[in-house]
Amino acid sequence: MGIVRKIKKIVEKAAERRKRSKNAAKKTVLSKKTAQRPLKHGRKLLVKEKIQEEALNILETTVEKTKFSTPEPKRIRQIVHELPGGYGKDKIVLQLRDPWWLYSFWEVTGGAYERLKQQLKGLFFSAKRVLRVYDVSQVNFNGKNAHRYFDIEVNTEAQSWYIDTGGPGRWWCVDYGLRLVTGEFITIVRSNVVQTPLDGPSWETDEEWMIPEEMFGRLYGMGFGVGQSSPVGKAWQERVKKALFSGVLSSPGITSGASPVKKKGKSRSFWLVVDCELIVYGATEPDATVYVQGKKIKLRPDGTFTMRYGLPDGKQVIPVKAISSDNEEERTITPIVTRETK
Amino acid sequence: MLHSHLPFVRHPEHDDFLEEDWLYEAITETYLPLLWVFEKLVEDKIDFRITMSLTPTLISMLSDPLLQERYLKHINKLIELSHKEIERTAWQQQFQNLAIMYLNNFCRARDTFERYKRNIVTAFKNLQDLGKLEIITCGATHGYFPLMDACRDSVKAQVRVAASHYESVFGRKPRGIWLPECGFQPGHDEILRESGIKYFFTDSHGVLHGTPRPKYGVFAPVYCKNSGVACFGRDLESSKQVWSSVEGYPGDYNYREFYRDIGFDLEYDYIKPYISPDGVRINTGIKYYRITGTSMLKEPYMPQWAADRAAEHAGNFMFNRQKQIEYLNDFIQKKPIIVSPYDAELYGHWWYEGPMWLDFLIRKIACDQKTIKLITPSEYLAEHPRNQVITPSMSSWGWKGYSEMWLQGSNDWVYRHLNAASERMSELSRSFPNVNGLTKRALNQALRELLLAQSSDWAFIMGTGTHTSYAVRRTKDHLLRFTRLYEDIKSSSIDEEWLSDVESKDNLFSDIDYRVHQ
Repeated sequence: MGIVRKIKKIVEKAAERRKRSKNAAKKTVLSKKTAQRPLKHGRKLLVKEKIQEEALNILETTVEKTKFSTPEPKRIRQIVHELPGGYGKDKIVLQLRDPWWLYSFWEVTGGAYERLKQQLKGLFFSAKRVLRVYDVSQVNFNGKNAHRYFDIEVNTEAQSWYIDTGGPGRWWCVDYGLRLVTGEFITIVRSNVVQTPLDGPSWETDEEWMIPEEMFGRLYGMGFGVGQSSPVGKAWQERVKKALFSGVLSSPGITSGASPVKKKGKSRSFWLVVDCELIVYGATEPDATVYVQGKKIKLRPDGTFTMRYGLPDGKQVIPVKAISSDNEEERTITPIVTRETK
Repeated sequence: MLHSHLPFVRHPEHDDFLEEDWLYEAITETYLPLLWVFEKLVEDKIDFRITMSLTPTLISMLSDPLLQERYLKHINKLIELSHKEIERTAWQQQFQNLAIMYLNNFCRARDTFERYKRNIVTAFKNLQDLGKLEIITCGATHGYFPLMDACRDSVKAQVRVAASHYESVFGRKPRGIWLPECGFQPGHDEILRESGIKYFFTDSHGVLHGTPRPKYGVFAPVYCKNSGVACFGRDLESSKQVWSSVEGYPGDYNYREFYRDIGFDLEYDYIKPYISPDGVRINTGIKYYRITGTSMLKEPYMPQWAADRAAEHAGNFMFNRQKQIEYLNDFIQKKPIIVSPYDAELYGHWWYEGPMWLDFLIRKIACDQKTIKLITPSEYLAEHPRNQVITPSMSSWGWKGYSEMWLQGSNDWVYRHLNAASERMSELSRSFPNVNGLTKRALNQALRELLLAQSSDWAFIMGTGTHTSYAVRRTKDHLLRFTRLYEDIKSSSIDEEWLSDVESKDNLFSDIDYRVHQ
């Protein structure tokens, strides 16, 4: 209700602007209507042609009687593989990325904008879309008791934003709203509160578990695997930061497809690999026994056979011996192959 | 601490599905080799303790008959290929020896797999029952908790579903949890307590940047302020020795080169039956070269050299822990603990000699010295119940230590939808406190779909920027299925045929109760 009263006041104050903006409003509404028309037409067409319609997740269509012989029209569903653009709820969510950065995404429905338009009249169109970021550390935030805030102007289409708070260890809340030309800010949606983690050790110690500064420094460095050296100086801090934020010490296992521990050898831009294989093949009576280089091999049902060898440099003597099933006859053929790679 | 996880990938609608290979490769290269190490240690009466997470999605896949059947098919093909390879390499002795090694490994994998009636979860359970392994749980589908904080009902559901799934598999409540991606947000510890979970892990800065200052750094656990749940911080020094691509052991030139696989190296027509059915070359798991050096030229792999190096590295790792502990003993008034967590899949899959290294390490610790001892977090807490109370800091073990890996330009779009779905799920469970039949089935499936959409793996893959289409598709598919269920439930128009189809595809967590999401 407070917001409504506030809006009323602002609207009255800005009375002279109203006329100008009315025209603008009309224009926009008009153009919006015309913009929607082809979409409606299109939708019917698309369903018939079974082309996927992006904005809708699931389309229900009635199959025409004439097309199918089923006695009653059956409702079938067609799954369209796209997610909805929105969920019809005015909402803003704040997430933590790291000690310094937040991520926020929001949705404001057309209905909410319509209401604002009606209330604000012309002021609506000149208003800036703004994220107001409040530092609400240790307070039960009521909209007024933040320690400080800063604004980020976002473009009208934006639905998400990365926010640089520069403030580890603080609590944050974000409003998405309109900043009017009068300087007033109107909240449309308010986020959850998140707390950025510290980017270094806490200054708080507890009496029972006290530890001298110097000793803690050593343990701190050891925990990060940068040794037990003196915990002072910039170089040391850099090493800790590097150890902490380089992030090479984990992987998701197999799904990543790239080894976390072995770098793929770097190839030059142009390359060539050549290798040789030798195929030795032949045929005999299907019930014969065949030896290649003294090793018995398996024949296909029709008596043919194929052997395949990786061929190293040098000379290969390959006696192929066949023995008839009654052990009466024997034939040997010996190819000799030499590979020389230059 | 070994964290074993794979996202739920199961596509009964396709005969062959490339991403299912993640599971098959992990079984052959990581889970079974680790199991062999543990079983042999038991056989040799070497005492040891390893804490190991098995995520609910991984357990679900390992216990799934369809995927078990497909694994057998997969390993049989590899056995067939290694037979061909033994023949093909008859004139190249070094390669033939390796082909024989692979054949033996694959046959052994098949035997072990059959021995446990195709469900190797049983094997790990046995080791837990023997007191050697402490198996802990994880988020139900490995959802990244810090980015679910705006709708904590989802964090609750991830934890509750995981805890009850664990209980149904292992016959007792989980004592500990590996938070997905080691992602901790203060307050979530209270959700863990509710499920009876006694401890979790954070990355180093989770403890070191906690408030008030942790007196013992990461070398003793702390209790969380409001919940009393214990938190163990990671020791980065021991992590780096294994993980780092620059200084880490796995980069040693004698170790096996991951990127030279016969799936890419051999002549196309020959290898075609063993690569992707659409003809795209992929890894087969048969690799003949060692890392050799930084250049493209690689020398054949020499198993004995690699084994010698693994033993050497295990000795080095132990020596460094001893030094660390000796140093800490001087100025910590209690027994220090060093927490070294790794992705299990690092061992065997990425680092072929990893399981062997672990074997050497465990044996050396048990037989060669008295300074250090392997221990599980539960045992440590039982021995040292008095610990400092702090609030650990929000943190993860991902790139840059916080949430950026899962929250950047390429993947931030998912959170709008995930958040909306979470809120809708809460709305459903509040609106339907007591239903049966079809509606109940639909509600349970809606929660399954939501949980699957939340897997951090999808956002991670999108973040890496390569092969992202599958991850995008999975996110959308589950969200769309959820949305349809939500709408159908609300309008009392549930399509049973479609529901049954979805239930048969996303069939994990058969005992799920949608009411946990509130």
